[in-house]
Amino acid sequence: MVFLVLPFLGYLALVIYPFLQAAYYSLTSWSGFTATQDFVGLDNYARLLGDDTFLKAVGNSLTLLVVLPLLTLVLSFALACLVTFGGSSTGGVRGLRGSSFYRVVSFFPYIVPAIASGIIFAAVYDPSAGLLNGILTGLGLGTAEDYPWLGDARTAMIATVAVIVWTFVGFYMVLFVAAIKGIPAELFEAARLDGAGRFRTAVSVAAPSMTGALRSAYIYLGIFALDAFVFLSVLNPAGGPQNSTLVITQQIYSTAFRQGRFGLACAMGVLLAVITFVFVGLVFGVGRLLGREKKAEVLR
Amino acid sequence: MNRESDRATTDTTALARRRFLRLASFGVLLPAGLSACAAGGSSSGEETSAAPAGEVTEDNPFGVPKDTDVDAVIFDGGYGTDYVSFASTAFAAAHGGEVKVTPSTQISQQMQPRFVGGNPPDLLDNSGANNIGLATIAAQLKELTPLVEAKNLEGTVIKDTLYPGMLDDGTYDGKLVQLNYVLTVYGLWYSKTLFAANGWTPPTTWDEALALGEQAKAKGKFLFCWGKEAATYYLTLAIDGAVKEGGDDVRTALGNLEADCWSLPAVQSVLTKMGTAVSSGYFRPGGAGTQFTAAQAQWSQAQEAILYPSGSWIENEMKDQTATDFQMTGTPSLAASASASLPATALHASAGEPFLVPAQAKNAAGGMETLRIMLSKEAATNFAKTKLSSTVVRDTVPADAFGSTALASQVAMLEAAGEDSFTHNFIDIYGMNTDMLVVWNSFLSGQLDVAGLTSGMQEITDKVREDDSVTKVTVS
Repeated sequence: MVFLVLPFLGYLALVIYPFLQAAYYSLTSWSGFTATQDFVGLDNYARLLGDDTFLKAVGNSLTLLVVLPLLTLVLSFALACLVTFGGSSTGGVRGLRGSSFYRVVSFFPYIVPAIASGIIFAAVYDPSAGLLNGILTGLGLGTAEDYPWLGDARTAMIATVAVIVWTFVGFYMVLFVAAIKGIPAELFEAARLDGAGRFRTAVSVAAPSMTGALRSAYIYLGIFALDAFVFLSVLNPAGGPQNSTLVITQQIYSTAFRQGRFGLACAMGVLLAVITFVFVGLVFGVGRLLGREKKAEVLR
Repeated sequence: MNRESDRATTDTTALARRRFLRLASFGVLLPAGLSACAAGGSSSGEETSAAPAGEVTEDNPFGVPKDTDVDAVIFDGGYGTDYVSFASTAFAAAHGGEVKVTPSTQISQQMQPRFVGGNPPDLLDNSGANNIGLATIAAQLKELTPLVEAKNLEGTVIKDTLYPGMLDDGTYDGKLVQLNYVLTVYGLWYSKTLFAANGWTPPTTWDEALALGEQAKAKGKFLFCWGKEAATYYLTLAIDGAVKEGGDDVRTALGNLEADCWSLPAVQSVLTKMGTAVSSGYFRPGGAGTQFTAAQAQWSQAQEAILYPSGSWIENEMKDQTATDFQMTGTPSLAASASASLPATALHASAGEPFLVPAQAKNAAGGMETLRIMLSKEAATNFAKTKLSSTVVRDTVPADAFGSTALASQVAMLEAAGEDSFTHNFIDIYGMNTDMLVVWNSFLSGQLDVAGLTSGMQEITDKVREDDSVTKVTVS
């Protein structure tokens, strides 16, 4: 009994209580620096819904939520397939030659702290002294000279997403490799005997057998995309050109600590929580729906 | 704030144990200590702790109790913290206790629980990127008028030892609540040697600046460069110019966030000239994607741009990235034309490093006494000598300015300006810099014209003016 009650109390005190506390603060005009708070009802929420900058941040966060998991998962899944069964089509089912080397190397970016990758890429994207423009102008692309990748609204978000994808692809690749190894090898061999190519094997054999791993990865990446604070604040601390890379978490930080409006910041936090709830609910809901269909198919 | 806890609550609902463990292995369920950073309990800060008070005498104007330490939290930035520790010797000699300095670069984050809990430090240097907005804590600060009306260690009333206008930025709603310690002169900075070698003279109006831009172009150089986090240095330059062009009415109209204030003729005349500089290609391209110190090095080290608008901290900030024999020199911000309301020598001078004493501090008298010592001739001269920057205290910089051309030109500009020095801080008071950066980066890149910039800035100021949850400060 004790070993259940104690963690539960800790959970109540450290997770549930602060959560409720923040929800209460979101109904006040608390500056963050006083011992008491004035209750203002739903004013903060009304303000947020009419705040263009905040809505823009919500839009950017939702864009990240859609784009980031999709890109990362597709890429890492493809790589995982290549190093597990994408190799020579004669002999046993195996990955590309040197696949264990690729597996290790592609994991490296994940080991670099997010803040460090951010700083490195900020230098890579530098308009006049950066590696990227250096290479592009070296190849004869005159338009790349002094082009501000992070300073132009058309490219800032794309450049940012590229950095995050670069960081995470290796990690998810390793994860998916483990999941694919968990699938009986006979399945792959049978598929090959039936004449399935690599793409068909990936889509029809590997993917359906690892939905659990895919869904968990999707949720984790989605939640990360809703945060993404470190990368975005290193690459474009102020929210980027025309606020094109401003996300909710940056707005929360600057509202709380720069403007001293903790009440309003807590309201943003609560809205972010609601978005997270909806997202996870959707992913599990869709997953369950698909699962039910499959069961129905089997029964038929 | 509560992100981490939200995730956790989200994911545990109706989770099967295996799925729980799988998610836990991703680190999703780790509740972070972040969520614990909320207000502590209900301790009301009402009771003013009856601090032991010392006797008020001529040498102890604030009644510092004997043998009591001063808890000072000092921003550890470009100036370090040793100049505050320097005051400890004199403090110990007079009152027994010492000034205990805690360096910090996270002022807002670290001081928040202390203000909430009613145990703030006795002296706080509220500076740096993570400072606390003055409007947020103004009501919880001690009024510093008694400090500036007291005599310094040499026996002169402190108010009379300062450069004119130095207390303006520390006055909030008619009350002096912070003392800005380091003199900051805003203007355009250039290399005296580079200008001499090319036979250029520093411009005094935007018309002259545009002509200079053409000459610089002929030498393959740009007139200006900028960095993405510091695009608003050009906003300061524009406001300074507009004030010089149109006089005090412009300053108050902007400071009071009046409707259509950015469309005033004086403001527009300056912005139009800047727009011409942008469209003529006098700005080094790519600034919107360049980190600001890297951009500043394009001016001070590579000398690809010849002028840079900034405060006088620029010499110290770039001292490791300045070309040899650069001879950094300042010149006042530019009015649009020669027919401006204020003379060309008029100067935007104010002060930085805001020191404040929280009203609930246990040893508030000690905090004020530390400031009194720091404002003495000896401490102020020590600061000028070791930091190559002047404090707000007059006559602490000798003629040779300890060999610093930038410091010498600061003093020269101040003397030339005389009573024609002005300041404005509405951008900071209302925290508008972040929003302004967005439009200014677009404007300097050439993606936004003068009309677009004007309406963008007007939108930002209108939003603040119409938000009745923001306390307004009347500028006069």
